[in-house]
Amino acid sequence: MIPVNYKDPRPIYEQIKSGLRRMVAEGELPAGSKLPSVRELAVSLTVNPNTIQRAYRELEAEGLITSAQGKGSFVAEGVKADKAAWQKLFADFDAATQNLLAAGAHPSDLCARILNGGDKHD
Amino acid sequence: MIEVKNLVKRFDDHTALDGLTMTVPDGAIYGLVGANGAGKSTTIKTLVGILKADGGDALIDGKPVFENPEVKARIAYIPDEVWSFPQATMQDMMKFYRSIYPKFDLGRWQKLGEVFALDERRPIRKFSRGMKKQVAFRLALSMRADYLFLDEPVDGLDPMMRRQVWQLILADSADYGTTVLVSSHNLRELEEICDHVGIMQKGKMIAEKRVEGGENLEALFLEELGGVQYDVQNILL
Repeated sequence: MIPVNYKDPRPIYEQIKSGLRRMVAEGELPAGSKLPSVRELAVSLTVNPNTIQRAYRELEAEGLITSAQGKGSFVAEGVKADKAAWQKLFADFDAATQNLLAAGAHPSDLCARILNGGDKHD
Repeated sequence: MIEVKNLVKRFDDHTALDGLTMTVPDGAIYGLVGANGAGKSTTIKTLVGILKADGGDALIDGKPVFENPEVKARIAYIPDEVWSFPQATMQDMMKFYRSIYPKFDLGRWQKLGEVFALDERRPIRKFSRGMKKQVAFRLALSMRADYLFLDEPVDGLDPMMRRQVWQLILADSADYGTTVLVSSHNLRELEEICDHVGIMQKGKMIAEKRVEGGENLEALFLEELGGVQYDVQNILL
């Protein structure tokens, strides 16, 4: 399931996009699998259908999903889950985090850096 | 479509609506925001035909609402303070609504009993504020109304119930194209639900916008009020 957190400062459609990206990367949603309908996902996440539409539209522009008129949205053919690459990224992340913490960085600074997506909390 | 043109409403020497103009497209989930006293409740009460405007027009599908049963039959309204007949139980109110609203859907009413699981034989006045709100939602959503007017609808509901109520509203909007006008001072909640937003101040509409998922209404609000001396706490609480 896609986690939506109202306390997360990222817009909801961004959270939905990264939730779907993660599910594809982890192999939970293989190529060609059908995504929930806009209505279904809107009601279950309690967000306006436009928000879901926006997330789907932007993922379509990225090539991760395709939409067929009247049929719904699907994970694009040829999109491959690469669990090993996914795990490698996390391993790199863990190593970098360990190094930063050992060097005296504060966990809350690291969290802020993740949420702001950049260089704002040096 | 809901069209409001230059609406004026005065209470003695206080002007609650001062030339309000707004448009709610069909099928929209429209969030009406503004500080306490901006005129949100007065707007809704005028639109559902409880209050008579002193000037201007409040039209639903091009027709005036006030003392117009044909239009009112298509409207459901949940006030901030829910009212019922003094001795009435939920069953009594259901029978009353059923006798008035032609499209009242008994099957839906029974189904909604699973969500709003309250004692049907207890007088409604003995319910808590949140339970009264639940009764109002069960009635309103059983009417199969084309227009849903909600004044601070989830005040007094616990977080689980809030979520369920929003889900029912979203589903009705998606499945039946119900047009929803909802006032709230909880911007964060409206942000996720609404596709249109109108910002009111002192009885006027100062901005109407189509929003698309995850706009920061708080920022939008403050931007629109830029340069105006404003008690921010008043808006955001």
